[in-house]
Amino acid sequence: MRIVCPFCGERELGEFTYLGDAKPVRPAADAGEDAVYDYVYLRDNIAGVMSENWYHGGGCRAWLKVTRNTLTHEISAVEPAAGAGAAKVGA
Amino acid sequence: MAEFSWDVRSPLDRALLAGPYGAHGDAGVTLTEIRNFDLVQVMARRGKAVDMATVAKTRFGVAAPETPKAVHTADATLIWSGPDQFFILAKNGKHAMDWLVPTFAASGSLSEQSHARALISISGAKARAMLAKLSSIDLHPGAFAVGAAAATSMDHTSVTLWRGNDRDGQAVLNVLVFATFAESLWHTMLDSAAEYGVAIAHSEELT
Amino acid sequence: MAVAQTNRLGNGGLIDRSAPLSFRFDGKSFSGFQGDTLASALVANGVKLVGRSFKYHRPRGILTAGSEEPNALVELRSGSRREPNTKATTAELYEGLEAASQNRWPSLRFDVMSVNQLFAPIFVAGFYYKTFMWPAKFWEAIYEPAIRRAAGLGRAAGVADPDHYDKAWAHCDVLVAGSGPAGLAAALAAGRSGARVILCEEDFAFGGRLLSDGGTIDGLPAAEWLLRTLAELAAMPDVRIMNRTTLFGVYDGGTYGALERVNDHLPSPPEHQVRQRLWRIVAKRCVVAAGALERPIVFAGNDTPGVMMASAMRTYVGRYAAAPAKRIALFTNNEDGWRTVETALGAGLQIAAVIDARPDISSAHRSLASKNGFTVLHGAVSGVDGGKDGVRKIAVSLTGGARAEVEADGLAVSGGWNPAVGLTSYHRGRPKWRDDIAAFVPDGAPPGMVAAGAANGDFGLGACLSQGFAAGAAAAHDAGHGGKAGTAPVADDEAFSVTPLWHVAGKGKAFVDYQHDVTASDIELAQREGFESVEHLKRYTTLGMATDQGKTSNVAGLAIMAAVSGRSIPETGTTIYRPPYVPVAIGAFAGHHRDETFHATRLTPSHHWAAEQGAVFVDTGLWKRAQWYPRAGEKDWLESVTREVKAVRSGVGFCDVSTLGKIDVHGPDAGAFLDRVYINTFSNLAVGKARYGLMLREDGIVYDDGTTSRLAEDHYFLTTTTAKAGLVMQHLEFCRQVLFPELDVQLTSVSDQWAQFSIAGPKTRDLLKEIVDPTEDLSNEGFPFMGAREVALRGGIKARLFRISFSGEMAFEISVPARYGEAMARNLMLAGKSFGVTPYGTEALGVMRIEKGHIAGPELSGTTTAADLGLDKMMSTKKDFIGRVMAGREALVAPDRQVVVGIKPTDKARRLRSGAHIIPKGQTPGPGNDQGYVTSVCFSPASDQWIGLALVERGRERIGEIVHAHDPIRGEDYDVELCNPVFYDPDGGRQRG
Repeated sequence: MRIVCPFCGERELGEFTYLGDAKPVRPAADAGEDAVYDYVYLRDNIAGVMSENWYHGGGCRAWLKVTRNTLTHEISAVEPAAGAGAAKVGA
Repeated sequence: MAEFSWDVRSPLDRALLAGPYGAHGDAGVTLTEIRNFDLVQVMARRGKAVDMATVAKTRFGVAAPETPKAVHTADATLIWSGPDQFFILAKNGKHAMDWLVPTFAASGSLSEQSHARALISISGAKARAMLAKLSSIDLHPGAFAVGAAAATSMDHTSVTLWRGNDRDGQAVLNVLVFATFAESLWHTMLDSAAEYGVAIAHSEELT
Repeated sequence: MAVAQTNRLGNGGLIDRSAPLSFRFDGKSFSGFQGDTLASALVANGVKLVGRSFKYHRPRGILTAGSEEPNALVELRSGSRREPNTKATTAELYEGLEAASQNRWPSLRFDVMSVNQLFAPIFVAGFYYKTFMWPAKFWEAIYEPAIRRAAGLGRAAGVADPDHYDKAWAHCDVLVAGSGPAGLAAALAAGRSGARVILCEEDFAFGGRLLSDGGTIDGLPAAEWLLRTLAELAAMPDVRIMNRTTLFGVYDGGTYGALERVNDHLPSPPEHQVRQRLWRIVAKRCVVAAGALERPIVFAGNDTPGVMMASAMRTYVGRYAAAPAKRIALFTNNEDGWRTVETALGAGLQIAAVIDARPDISSAHRSLASKNGFTVLHGAVSGVDGGKDGVRKIAVSLTGGARAEVEADGLAVSGGWNPAVGLTSYHRGRPKWRDDIAAFVPDGAPPGMVAAGAANGDFGLGACLSQGFAAGAAAAHDAGHGGKAGTAPVADDEAFSVTPLWHVAGKGKAFVDYQHDVTASDIELAQREGFESVEHLKRYTTLGMATDQGKTSNVAGLAIMAAVSGRSIPETGTTIYRPPYVPVAIGAFAGHHRDETFHATRLTPSHHWAAEQGAVFVDTGLWKRAQWYPRAGEKDWLESVTREVKAVRSGVGFCDVSTLGKIDVHGPDAGAFLDRVYINTFSNLAVGKARYGLMLREDGIVYDDGTTSRLAEDHYFLTTTTAKAGLVMQHLEFCRQVLFPELDVQLTSVSDQWAQFSIAGPKTRDLLKEIVDPTEDLSNEGFPFMGAREVALRGGIKARLFRISFSGEMAFEISVPARYGEAMARNLMLAGKSFGVTPYGTEALGVMRIEKGHIAGPELSGTTTAADLGLDKMMSTKKDFIGRVMAGREALVAPDRQVVVGIKPTDKARRLRSGAHIIPKGQTPGPGNDQGYVTSVCFSPASDQWIGLALVERGRERIGEIVHAHDPIRGEDYDVELCNPVFYDPDGGRQRG
C-alpha cells in the first residue's frame, strides 16, 4: 500500500503506523464516564470507507487522516491532523 | 587534579575504515562520512511560520524550505525535515545554538542536534543502485533533482536524505542518520555497496 | 566419462555448442551445452525418468519446459547449498552442476516406496482426515512421524544457507511482465513514448514462445526481429530489461514483487554478490504479457515418462535441439498441437500418429499426414503402456467406439491453452470463461494493470504484437508520456480452434495434479462426499496446493468437478488466486535481515569504551547495553554484579543510561501540554528542577514513566523508558497534533544528542568535584535533590546535570553531547580513580532498583494501574489528563487488585525466579487461587539474600504474610514472605544526603 503524505508525497506503507478510526473525538474534561467509555472502547469496524489515523513516523512525523476503503484498500483522501503543519495558524 | 581531554568521536569513528572495500577495481560507490558539523533543528511556533521564514531569510539570505528541499547558502545548508521545521547544517560554530537561539527566540523552537546525527555522503556511478537497496524513494535524476530532500527511512531507521550539488558530473546523495543507529546503517550500506566496489573516506568538509 | 548426448539433434537450437558443460544427475556424469536447462540437457542425454511422485512414488519424467513444471523437481547442488524442489525445467545448466532426484529410496529406478501404489485405494482424497482420526494420541507418536518420512518433496539442506540475498526498490511508469511478442511490443511502445519501463522476464533468455515457435514479424524471421527489438530497448536509457526475474505478486497502490535469480545459474555467487534479489517495484501502470500455459488432458497413464506437453516438446526440439523421443505421437484437441508435428518433422523426427479429439481437421494437416506417412486417428488416448523407461504403446479410443494402438516412445499432449491469469487475479479477481478458446481469461485487473496477448486469451502472434503494442502505448500515455510510439510490429495470426476435452475415461490412474498425485477419481470421490465447492475440492484433495500451485492442473480439476456435478465450468468457478506466482525463498524475503543483521542495532555513545573494558552486552530492544563488566577471577555473572552493586553502595559507580528516550518539549504551552499527558502536574515545576512523571493510557492503565526537567520557562526535557522511547514519541505527537492541536508546543527527539550517565554512590559528589568546574556549587543547598541545570566541566565543555536517583544512593545523571560520550566515560574513570569508581551494567542497575522497590518494565506490564504500583497519590484531581476518567472505573479501583509488594524467601538460601505464581499458603495451586506472580527478582547484596517484587492480590494489606510461590515451568515450590517493596534505605536518607 502507498499513502500520499500531504507533506512528503507518495510513500510506501512501511513508513507509516496505523492507529485506527479517526472519527471519535476525545470528550471534554466534564463529559462523564459514559462518554469516555464510548470514546475508548466503542469503535466501529467498517467494511467500506473509513476515516483513519495514520502516523508518518518513518518520515515527517505528521499524523494524518486517511480516508480508506477497508475492502479494496483504495485511499480516496489524505489530510493532515489539525495540529500537523499548523504553524501558519495561531494557537 | 586530573587533566581531562574531551576528544570527540564521531559515531562511525570505529566502524569506518578508510580505503577500498568489496569488489576490486574502480569503486562504483564512494561513501564519505562528514564529521564535526553543527546541526540545529528549528520548529515554528504556532502562528509564527511567517516570522520564522522572515528571520531565516534575513540570517541566511535565502528562504527556508517549506517543501522537501535542501537549500545551500555560502556557509549553511537548510534542509526541510517536516512540516514547519527544518535543519540548519553548518560548520565551525557559525550557526550554532548560541547564535541561533536569540535569532529565532520569538518564532521558533530550537533543538541542538549536532551530536544526534551522523552524516554520510554517497556518490559514484552505482550510488543509486546501492541506495535502491536501502531506500524506497525514487532517486531517478528526473524524480529526485539537485536540491530534493526527503524525511524517510532506510533499513527501518529514520533518515534525512537530500541531493547535493553534483560533483564531477555525478549525483551526491547525503544521509543524516540517528547517531546511535549510524554504525548499524553503515554496515548495511557496506553490504549493499560491496558488489560495486566501495571507496571509503571521511572528511571535515561539508559538500 | 560422460555419456554422449544421444538425443541431441545435429544442428539448430539456441545452445552454444562451443561451450560444453559437464554435470551430474544422481551421481552419473553427463554433458550438455551453455544455453541448456537441466531438463533440456537430460532430454539431450536420453534421460526420461527424473523423479518419483509425491504420494505413490510413481516414475515421472519431464512434463513441461517452464516454471509450471510439476514433475521434474530435483535437489540441486549439495551440502549447505542443497535446494529441494528445484524445477529442472528452469534450472540453468552450469559446469559441474549436481542434481539428485527426489522421493526415491534407495534409488530412482528401484524405489521401495512405490509399493504405495499397491495400497493406492487407501491414499484417496481426504486420506489423512479419514485414516488418522483415531486414536487421537497416535497422531504425534506414530502417524505424523511415519507420514513425514514417507512424504515430502525433497530434503532441505539442514544447515544455514551460506549465500546472501538482498532486497531493492525500483520505480517506473510502465512495468511489463513477460518478454514474449506481446511484452516486447508493449515495452517498445512505452519506451518510445518516453516512459520509464521495466520489463521482467523469468527465463534467462528474452523472447518467450518466439524462442521455440519462431514466426515472421515485420517480414523478418522472429529471431532477427527479437535481436533488433532487444537492441532498440537496450539503447533507451529509461528502459530496464531484467531476465531471470519473475514478477510474483501484485500489491496495493501499484506495488509489485519480483524475484531476480541473480546468480542461480552459477555454482555459487561470485564474491560480494547475492544469490537472489527481491524487488519491490512501484509502477504507475503494468502490462501483463505473461503468456499462456498449455494444459494436459487427463487420461490413464498420463504421467508415464515420455508423455510431455506438445509445446514443451517443440521447445526441446526447437530451442534446445534435444529430442524427447524418436517416434512421437501427438494427442491434441486443438489446432496448436499440430505445430509440434511440424517442428518434429522439421527436425527429422518420426511421427507415429496424431490422435485428434476434434471432429474435423484441416486439409493441410491431412496432406501433411499423408506426405509424411503417419495416421490421423479421431478419438482420444485412453491408456499408456510403459513404465520407468518411458512410453511404449498408446491405447486409443476412436470416435465411434473402436480401439487402436500406436507404438511410440513419446507422446505430446495438448489440451488447449490457459492464459496466465494469476497476476491479474491477485486482488481477489475472478477470471471469466471464454467458450471460443475454452479457457479462463482476465476479467478486469488490479488498478493500473492490463493483460495483453496470450495472457488475455489472444494467442495469435499478430494479435499478441498489436495488443501488446497498444497496451504499452496506452500505459505510457496514462502515466503522462505522450511521445510517438511509432507503428506496431506486424505478423499474421495462426488459426486456432479447440474442442474442449478434459478427461478420457479409462483403466488406471489418470492424473490431474501430478505434483500432489491427485487423480480424476479423487475429484469424483470428493464430489460424492459433498466437497463440490472448488475451495473445498482444493483442500480436501490437495489439488493445486503443491509448490507448482496447480498451474497445469487447476482448470482440468475444476472442469472434471463441473462435469461430475452437472454444472458448467464458469458455474463451478475458480479458487482465489494468491501470490507468489512461483515459490520464493524465505532468504529473499529476509534479504539482509538475518543473523547479526536481523534488525538494526543501536549502540550507546560509550559502547566501544565498554567493549574495551570487557563488558558483556545484552540486547534490549534494538540496543546493545553493557550488562556487567566481568573482572579476572570472577566465577560467574552474579559475582560481578554483586561486586558492582557493593562498589556503588559503598563508593561510587557509573552506568551509561543514554538509552532512555529524550524529548525536547518546547513552546509557551509546554507545561499545559505535560499536565495533560502526565497524571501529575508539570506546569508548576520550577525552572532548574526535575520531577518524576507517570503517564497513563486513555484506558487508565499505566503507559510509561520517567523524569522531566524544566530547563527554561518554555523548554522541558522529558525522558522515557528505554523500551517505550519510540512509542512515547508517537503518543506525544498524537496528543500534540490530533488531541490538543490548540496548544503551542513543539516536540523534538533528542535521544541521540546526549550521552547520559548515571553516577551513584556516597562518593558521587567527590567524583563530580573532580570533573565539574570548581565554580559550580554541588552542595545539598546549591544543587538539591531533583535539581537540574547546565554546568561547566573542566576542560571546557558544558554538561547537563540532574540530581536524580534510581539506585537509592546519592546520585546524579550527567549529559554531554554524544560525541563526547566516550571521553566522558574515560574522564569519569579518571575523576573517580581515587574513589575506586566502578562502571556498572544493567544488571547492577536492576538490582539496585529492586532493592529500592522502584518499578520498571516488568511492573509496567500494560495491566497495572497507578494504584497497583503504589503511585496513586501522584494523580492530580485538579486537572484533566489522559486516562483520568477510565482510571476511576470500578474494576481499576477494586480493592482486590494485584498490587506491587516485596517478597523474600523464608529459606534465606533460596534463589527466586520471576514468573512464579503466588498461591495462599497450604493450598493446591490452580487457576482458582492464583493471586498474582513474581515480576522482578535479584540477589540483594544489601539483604544478603534473594529478594523480589511481585504483583499480589491485596498485597499491601498482607505485609508479613507467608504465601506459596509455585513455578510449574521450573518445577519449583517454596514459601515467600510478603514485605515492604523498599528493601533498602526505606526513608530515603541516602539519596537526599
